Amino acid sequence: MTKEEWLSKLFQIEHYFDTIKNSYPKSDIRDIFLGKKGELTLLLKKISEIPVEHRKEVGLKGNELKKMIEEFVTEDYENVSEVLNEIDITLPSKKINFSFRHPITITLSKIIESFKKLGFSLEWGPLVEEDFYNFKALNFPDHHPARDMQDTFYIDGLFDSEGKNLILRTHTSPVQIRTMLKYKPPLRVISPGRVFRSEAVDATHSFVFNQIEGFYVDSKVNMCDLKWALENFIKDLFGNSAKIKFMPSYFPFVEPGAQVEVSCVFCSGRNINCKVCKGVGWLEMLGAGIIHPNVLKNCGYDPYQWSGFAFGAGIERFTMLLFGIDDLRTLYENDLRILRQVV
Amino acid sequence: MKIVYSWLCEYFESKPDIDFLVTTLKKLGFGVESIQKIGPDCRGVVTAKVLEVKKHPNADRLKVCRVSTGSEEYEVVCGASNVKEGIIVPFATVGAKLKDSILKKAKIRGIESCGMICSASEIGIEDNSDGIMILDENLQLGVDINDIFSRDYIFDIEITPNLSYALSHWGIARELSIFGGLKLKNIPVENNISITKYLDFSIEIKTADCYRYAGIIVKNIKNKNTPFFIFDRLKKIGVNPKGNFLIDLSNYVMFELGQPTHFFDLSKIDSIIVRQALDGEKFIGLDGNIYKLSEDIMVIADNKKVLAVAGIIGGIESAIDNSTSDILIEVANFNPVSIRSSAKKINIKTDSSYRFERTVDYNLIDLAIKRIIFLIKQTNPQAEICFFKDIKNVIPKDFNLEIDIRKIEDIIGIKVDTKMIFDLLKSMDNSFDGKFFKVPSYRHDIKSIWDISEEYLRYIGYDSIETKSFMQTFKSKDDVFWEIKDEFSRRLSVFGFNECYTYDLVSLKDIKEIGFNVNECIKILNPISSDFEYLRPSGLPSMLKVLRYNINRDIKSVKIYEFANTFIKNDNKIEEKRKLFILMWGFNNEWEWWKEKKVLIDFFDLKTVIDFLFNYEVEWLDKGFNFGINGGVIVLNDKEIGWGGEVKKSILKNFDIKVDNVFYVEIDIEQLRDSFESDFYSLLKKPKKPSQYQSGIRDLSIIIDKKYKFSEIRKAILDVEDIEEIRLIDVYEDSKLGKDKRSFTFRFIFSSYNKTFTDEELNKKIEKIFLILKEKFYASLR
Repeated sequence: MTKEEWLSKLFQIEHYFDTIKNSYPKSDIRDIFLGKKGELTLLLKKISEIPVEHRKEVGLKGNELKKMIEEFVTEDYENVSEVLNEIDITLPSKKINFSFRHPITITLSKIIESFKKLGFSLEWGPLVEEDFYNFKALNFPDHHPARDMQDTFYIDGLFDSEGKNLILRTHTSPVQIRTMLKYKPPLRVISPGRVFRSEAVDATHSFVFNQIEGFYVDSKVNMCDLKWALENFIKDLFGNSAKIKFMPSYFPFVEPGAQVEVSCVFCSGRNINCKVCKGVGWLEMLGAGIIHPNVLKNCGYDPYQWSGFAFGAGIERFTMLLFGIDDLRTLYENDLRILRQVV
Repeated sequence: MKIVYSWLCEYFESKPDIDFLVTTLKKLGFGVESIQKIGPDCRGVVTAKVLEVKKHPNADRLKVCRVSTGSEEYEVVCGASNVKEGIIVPFATVGAKLKDSILKKAKIRGIESCGMICSASEIGIEDNSDGIMILDENLQLGVDINDIFSRDYIFDIEITPNLSYALSHWGIARELSIFGGLKLKNIPVENNISITKYLDFSIEIKTADCYRYAGIIVKNIKNKNTPFFIFDRLKKIGVNPKGNFLIDLSNYVMFELGQPTHFFDLSKIDSIIVRQALDGEKFIGLDGNIYKLSEDIMVIADNKKVLAVAGIIGGIESAIDNSTSDILIEVANFNPVSIRSSAKKINIKTDSSYRFERTVDYNLIDLAIKRIIFLIKQTNPQAEICFFKDIKNVIPKDFNLEIDIRKIEDIIGIKVDTKMIFDLLKSMDNSFDGKFFKVPSYRHDIKSIWDISEEYLRYIGYDSIETKSFMQTFKSKDDVFWEIKDEFSRRLSVFGFNECYTYDLVSLKDIKEIGFNVNECIKILNPISSDFEYLRPSGLPSMLKVLRYNINRDIKSVKIYEFANTFIKNDNKIEEKRKLFILMWGFNNEWEWWKEKKVLIDFFDLKTVIDFLFNYEVEWLDKGFNFGINGGVIVLNDKEIGWGGEVKKSILKNFDIKVDNVFYVEIDIEQLRDSFESDFYSLLKKPKKPSQYQSGIRDLSIIIDKKYKFSEIRKAILDVEDIEEIRLIDVYEDSKLGKDKRSFTFRFIFSSYNKTFTDEELNKKIEKIFLILKEKFYASLR
């Protein structure tokens, strides 16, 4: 046996020791390495096979490891004095990041949880849509000026069956059509997701943002049901003192249509200088109404047999209120220094 | 739309309170976006004459002036350069209120100033002004400024498409009278349109998109100065008045009544023909632009040329100019769809097209003509009407709606007050008998009982809607995608990941830089900028940008994920997939801690994350991936569900990321649906009972050829009886082991529900395992 072979073997043993030393009882470790047939014992015996001039060098190294293993296996509780155990308990602990969900997802979860309690189920729709689902079936006829209310992105070179360019959906409402065509009433559905509007990005606008759609179709659904459901949800999100108010508004796919305002979550209408509600006391948060008879007809439902309510809202607006964020762009910047503060 | 308070008030018998107006407008669904106060905002400011201007003894810039309010004289210091002897100025005496402050006596550089000569901005008439305000020299002295400039308000009102019948001052007034109880006054009009001097003229309609066309020729209009009230009102709503009566009048009537009109210079036209344009026909608009027309665009023409694009824009060749005294007034009604598509086609939007495409009341023409003639006669009594023709090309049908109170109650959920609804409908249709409602021609938006329900709610107030429901309880169904998202988010949190939201649109450059085939990508026809021109085919560019953003902000460990969609084109079909993007870079233990050394994230950290997401049930096929070599395809239940690995340095360089060891995985959520819906996750929820017998542990170190992958070796011994777990506790490579060899140290945990294994039994099992390894992979003991 050459010196090199011997040292290589010694190295392997040391490596093995390091690997397993904490996984077996110390008595086993002693047996494995230092017992009669122990790995190190056997190797040390082989020193005699090494040329004399190298024996001292390898012997020294071998004994070093032997001493280390011996120290390791003999060390036990009795030999350790209490004094040695004393630690500075004020040394810092390990810092762990546990802020995994994005503020938008946290908001969305709260909204979904709230509507799940009322029996609403989730449905999803594609982001690349056809004119039929995004506009036509929702009572936006071709060339209707209401189409101007939503600046649409068109897809280059891809068309629907009518030969119209595919589009990026401008709202989550096409899921109403897709769901009503797919299932029979009664239906309670919510559908969150991204929507697109061809708008420049600023503190309150973005060409990509998230919306949530909700609708309920049954034999007799009215404006009071709508107000009840929405007040339930707003209280879940902002607490018992939150109030809601309906104002007339226009969306082609509902009639009567309403804009839903929520009492200012910051000042409850008590601060004329409130930055959030600008002293108005109310915040415009949702659009809602009774599903337009034309929409029901477009989905094959008889508007004299079935009726429904529908609502929609931008998620980011809720997120900004809940997290006190005043610039929408913050939510899409993904600055970990900010995201890590959100739990 | 801008509404001037004083203008609006003209239509009511008594002036409504400003707060009442704002509240009522909001209650009716007109969004009041802003209220601008104009006119002076001061008290105690009167007209005064500057009698004398002297230099200030202690300051070059300042002057000492003697001013008179007629009854008294004052000495004041003034800094304005435009102060002169003899001018009339607004003068604030001590104690006057200027906007939000009270003027006090002041000593300026040693001279006492007993008042102040004001600028227009100081008294609130303008936002910004230079120097003091110089008033009309004929004004009397000592007159309150508030009596000279009247206070007014300008509302900016949002009018949704359904309320387009209120796109005018009079339209708003009518709405406020029906829904807000304000009493309307009659608008002064000329009821007697008689022709005083007949002229032969031809008007012809050759297209069905022109519903009605009225043409009136008025000659001998000499006074062409715009009356002050028209000039002032147009200015207040932000329409630049020209001072030419004929131009300003056309605009005024549109903003007053909502009826767009057009005035032609009679000397420049020979007839009127309403027709579709010819393909390729050219036309120069009033804006100076040359428009190339096509067959689907409706025009007003004469025998020689196109005079106007119908309802959208007039032409320069037939336009009113300063010498015009004879005109043809067009008051017409067009098909809204035709106007809208034409306006889109020639890419122009005017106040006229805006109204026509939202539908203008067919019968408004009558009122508009009478009003225009009245206003012309006011300033030009000598003007002569020489021709009047009103062609009703398409006549709308009367629309009657049966009022079913029960259905209204079903829709709104509260009891209908029959008197209230009767009053409301009666105020819109005087012939209403309680059953059949004749929808007035201007309310083109009312088509069904749902619309009547909304009108009723607007009338009684939306606050009447109660918060009550008889909705039955109902169990919502679980959603597999939401559960996946929730579950994965939770699991990723174990490793300190953060969720991101990035834009779904990326640039062409982004796509090229990750080396993706652009032909497979989906392009936006009308992007807001080249940065957001394509739907992303992969989350990699977005994730790399988030990485770069955070590296640049000194973050030492970036572990991020996003749930979003990817889009590619396949055979001219969209392939939109729900994905999970995961990226990690930096140190595993991100913040320095005294107990441990910082360890760089490597491939196996990524693999740990992925395995953990899938309960260690996925396999990696070692075949590389699009964006790197050290990586591969991830397989679950024989289905490829994702791919990933270490991102190529060249890609990182393209994104200006100066670090390496960046790891990325993209998982196709759609593919997981089955696994999640099967018992993959339900197994997780039903824990296996641990054996009550002690498990046995044995280690085994082998030397094996490198060509055998760990996964095949593991697979070969996985089925040995009673193995509960195989752990690889060491991988060791050394040339001493032999060429292309490596050593694995396994730790086997054996367990049984029936017994504790003896040493002998354990040894036998290990021997069996070794035998398999020896036979299959020529392994040797170390």
